[in-house]
This record gives sequence, C-alpha cells and structure tokens, in this order.
Amino acid sequence: MFQGFPEIKEALMSNKMQAAFMVAPMAIALRAQGVPVKIVYLGHRYGSAVVVRRDGPVHRVSDLRGRIVAVPSRFSDERLIVFRAMAANGLDAKKDLRMVEMAPPDVAGALAAGAIDAFSMGEPYPSQAEIGGFGRVLFHARQYWPDYISCVLVVRQDVIDKRPDAVQVLVDGIARSGLWLDEKERAKKHRLHAADFVGRFYYHQDPKLLRWALTNPIDRVKYEPLSPRRADFETIVNLMVQTGVLDHAIPFEDFVDTRFAEGARAMTAWKYEAGDDRAR
Amino acid sequence: MQKLVLAIGAWIIAITSAHFALNVNWQVLMNDRLPEGQRKLNVAYIPVT
Repeated sequence: MFQGFPEIKEALMSNKMQAAFMVAPMAIALRAQGVPVKIVYLGHRYGSAVVVRRDGPVHRVSDLRGRIVAVPSRFSDERLIVFRAMAANGLDAKKDLRMVEMAPPDVAGALAAGAIDAFSMGEPYPSQAEIGGFGRVLFHARQYWPDYISCVLVVRQDVIDKRPDAVQVLVDGIARSGLWLDEKERAKKHRLHAADFVGRFYYHQDPKLLRWALTNPIDRVKYEPLSPRRADFETIVNLMVQTGVLDHAIPFEDFVDTRFAEGARAMTAWKYEAGDDRAR
Repeated sequence: MQKLVLAIGAWIIAITSAHFALNVNWQVLMNDRLPEGQRKLNVAYIPVT
C-alpha cells in the first residue's frame, strides 16, 4: 500500500511493482512520455466528490472563486472535474481558484484545520469529512461527469507481453469482484462485508468509514461497467490538453489495451458470502 | 568474561531472530527469488477509490 500517486508511478517505472491502480490522467501522461505501460481495466466508476467546510461560506460551485482547493495530483480526474464544474458555472478553474496538490490521506485533516477551503478527492475521504462533521459534499463527480472514471489498472508492457495469462487472471478477479459488489439484491450485504475486511486487512481504516462510502447511497461508487471505453478516455485526453497537462492528444490504442477487458466480459460475480472459507 | 560473551551472543541472536520474524516480509523475498514467469504480480494501490 502506498500513500500517494507519485510514489506508485516511481515503483511502477522501476519494476518494483508490475501493476498499479492510479488516476487515469497520470497513466495517460506516463504513456505520452514514452513509459511502457498500458491501461487494461478500470478500478471503479464515480466515487469522487468536491468537499467544503460544513459551516463554511461555499454553497455553490461559483462560491469556489478565490478559494484553495486540494487535488491528489495535477494528473488526476479529481482536478479535471473541478475544471469541468467551474466551466459549467461560467468560471475558469485556472484563473478563478488556487489548486494545490496533496496526498489523499492528508486532505480531510487539512480541511478540518482550515488550511484549504475544499478538496476534490476519491472516497473514502469525502466520507471521512462528512462523518467527522466538518465537511459537506458540494457535489459528486456524477453531477458534472456521467460515467466518471478515476482509478484505472495500469500494467507494465513487458508483463503484458511476457505474462498475458497472469494479467488476464488479475483482470478477471477484478471483474468478478466488481460484479459481486454490484450484485442486485445482495449489493448492500456484500459491500458491508467488503468494508469490514478491506478496512481491516488492506486499507487499515475504520470499517465504519468504508461502510459509509460504499453504501451511502449504494451507487456512490460503482463497480461496473469496468471495461475501458474509447469515448470516456477521449474526454479525459481532451480535458488534459485543454487544461495544460498534456501537449497533444494521443490515440486511445497508444495507452489502452482492451484485450483483457474483452477476455473478462463473460465473467460472473464471485460466489462468496460472509463466513465462506473461499470465493468460487 | 565467558558469561558476558554468552549473554551478548544470546542477546544478538534474540534481536536478530525478532528482526527476521517481525520486519522481513518473507513472502515478498521468496517471490522475488522465483523465476520471472512464476512470480506473483505486485499490484500497487493507495487507500482511495
């Protein structure tokens, strides 16, 4: 587990890590810089929000003018959603507010301490600010960006070339987990259970926080469809160019390999309930 | 003198054993020694969606 995206980028480039979940624009920027990696799948859809101080003066997007907003990286969808929301309200995020980069685990504390006026971040940090009583969601990403994407699964090209079977197993597992989390009438039960074991064994966070993020409401974070779609990524690339973090648009095929998502298309949800000894 | 040497030796062995047991991730170490085609992939993440 890492605490920031720049460290993940370095670990991936040095082959300490062979695959990584990272924000989509960072993966695109790496590819544009010639780093041999490809996006093979999505981690989730939605799950990001802009949060302001609960008792603060920001009640509308236009109130963000002149404020300090934290984002996880200049190469993040959380930054792009701020540009998009500001533009929809007749403002320019580049001129009308100040963006600062901050590691995700630090933003809730910075908001509570008054060091920033708002943050744009993925879950569970918006939930942390809400539960803590000092933050209020100004808007969820879905309100300005249908089918919003944040984290994607990136794999080194040498691993794709030499070990495609291992990559397919990884993608299949993510696909099955997503279907399990979104399984119609069992979704809430599965998400509560996932919050418990992910909180304790992977994220080392209070499961209460993840329970809130995964069920309040149930579609706050979605886990399907996770196949990388051309139109979604063209939107991201265009926004990256418009906002000055990418010199020129690069073609979808240059940074996405869709074969593993196609291979996972027939997958079904894991058969697993709390108390089972293993998932099947 | 012999007792002191034995005590220091026992202390070093105890501390070294505790270090190997508590601070070394043996799974990662053993995985890195496998032939490339048999290694588990290391997947990086941060605690955020």
